Amino acid sequence: MSPRPRSASGRIREYFGLADLGESAVERKLTELKRRKTVRRLWTAVAAVALAILLDFSLDRAEFSLGMLVQYFPEFVRALGDYFPPTTYYGIPFVDVRQYWAFILAEDLFHQSVVTVSIAFAGTVIGLPGALLLGVLASERVVPYPFNFVFRLTMSTIRSIPALVWALIFIPLGGVSPFTGTLAIIVDTTGYLGRLFTDELEEIETGPIEGVRSTGANKSQTITFGMLSQVFRQFIAWIAFVLEHNVRVAITLGLIGAGGLGLVLDTQRRTFNYTEMMACIIVIVLLSGTVELLSQRLRSYLRDDEKGEADSRGFLRILVETPRKIAESALK
Amino acid sequence: MSTLRVENLTKTYGDVTALRDVSFEIEDEFVVLLGQSGAGKSTMLRCINGLTEPTSGEIYLDGEPLSGSRPTVGMIFQQHNLVEGVSAYLNALTGALDRATLIESLFQWNDRADKLRALEALETVGLLDEAHQRVSRMSGGQQQRVGIARALVQDPDLLLADEPVASLDPASAETVMRYLKKAATVHEATALVSLHQVNVAAHFGERFVGLRDGRLAFDIGRDELTQERVDDLYGDVETVALAERHAVDGSPAVEDRRVRP
Repeated sequence: MSPRPRSASGRIREYFGLADLGESAVERKLTELKRRKTVRRLWTAVAAVALAILLDFSLDRAEFSLGMLVQYFPEFVRALGDYFPPTTYYGIPFVDVRQYWAFILAEDLFHQSVVTVSIAFAGTVIGLPGALLLGVLASERVVPYPFNFVFRLTMSTIRSIPALVWALIFIPLGGVSPFTGTLAIIVDTTGYLGRLFTDELEEIETGPIEGVRSTGANKSQTITFGMLSQVFRQFIAWIAFVLEHNVRVAITLGLIGAGGLGLVLDTQRRTFNYTEMMACIIVIVLLSGTVELLSQRLRSYLRDDEKGEADSRGFLRILVETPRKIAESALK
Repeated sequence: MSTLRVENLTKTYGDVTALRDVSFEIEDEFVVLLGQSGAGKSTMLRCINGLTEPTSGEIYLDGEPLSGSRPTVGMIFQQHNLVEGVSAYLNALTGALDRATLIESLFQWNDRADKLRALEALETVGLLDEAHQRVSRMSGGQQQRVGIARALVQDPDLLLADEPVASLDPASAETVMRYLKKAATVHEATALVSLHQVNVAAHFGERFVGLRDGRLAFDIGRDELTQERVDDLYGDVETVALAERHAVDGSPAVEDRRVRP
């Protein structure tokens, strides 16, 4: 190893790989690595500056300011008192749950939940055939390359318009109503679920398809028995996932007037009834949580069954076993 | 110069006994661990390395009891276990983690001596020019050589390798074994390498430790490795099949006449 230079500038030059560290192959390589690192650092610096400029621009356009946060924070704290009305139970301070409950009964939020889930369910089921048709036809395995893009393009156009905007488009057809919301979800499901179907079909194995074709089956028989039967379980799992997604979409559609929980939430927001708003939000959390749990269970049942171990355990046992499983996999 | 002494090593997993009362001693040699799959080779190496706790028995390196992982023991894995997204140089430098604090290693403020040692190790395995390459872009044989370099940077007294060439083609396997042996020689480290290719073992090994059903089958020098010993360890059918396979896929011919059927 060569003696290290005493001057500070010499050391800095060494650090950035601008001065030779020594004559041996290993020392030359270390110099080269330092130089490469200097180049990488320069690029990182350029990227960091670009990111900072972009962020500054975005904050400006989004009118995001810390001043607003500071100025209106006391107001938000006041609202929190409305969101979670305080009371005491036997001298212990707690949230006044009775106020929520009274509102839930008065507005019959259970009925509203049924409306929301119905919009999602009907939309999913009616949208399903369209999704299946477009999804299968968009697959390169079914329709040869340039032509399958017609169907892909159709689906991506549908997806580029959010469900909320679809509902706005259909207002002339059904007014601002649950019916319009259902229409929007039907169209949204066609584009969204169809895409998931296509992706699933692109990944299937060629073997079984050739196996079915070799028996002399015609094209549609090959697609049905060679392809669709391979992905049947995955399709069911995706349908469950999209149903779950659609319940959340149905809630947001309610905000523009398409009925259900979202509509009640919006009405309370307009009248600044924060306690009632929070009651709605609690029901929403419970509802989407339940739907998600059911859909997760269905999907994990399908997965386990695929591995040949049918899952018939009760809900309680799952609650008990899940933390243990997480701990086990974390320790592995 | 170092001596590895294994005394009455036993390891059980539940009902399964992987190692039963195995004792042997090796010193400054390139030792090959032979045995069928499931004979206990991996368990043996993992016990010595401290990745697995033995059920009973003692392991000494130069008279000191070995427990837990330590820098004096370098390990080379079958699947190389490198961090694939970063360069060969940084992977080799992981071998020096023991000598740096967390902050130093995070910002690569290791001693220059360690940095040069990492590059020297890569030079030893013939990869100095590729030091800046990302490991994921390298071939399987090159990746395994980076694994050897990482172990060398630890400056180990003992080098362990668990089936280091099992997932490589015959040509790369021979290159990797050649570099492994060179590395052990240059660093004057005792090496214990498990292999299942008898021809490769016979070519590179200086001493042979055989395991069968978790028991020590033999602990012999080069001259004592006979066809009978190998047949005894693997069973006749396996060896013949092995020889035939090597004849077909064109892998290096068996060097040692005694091991050719």
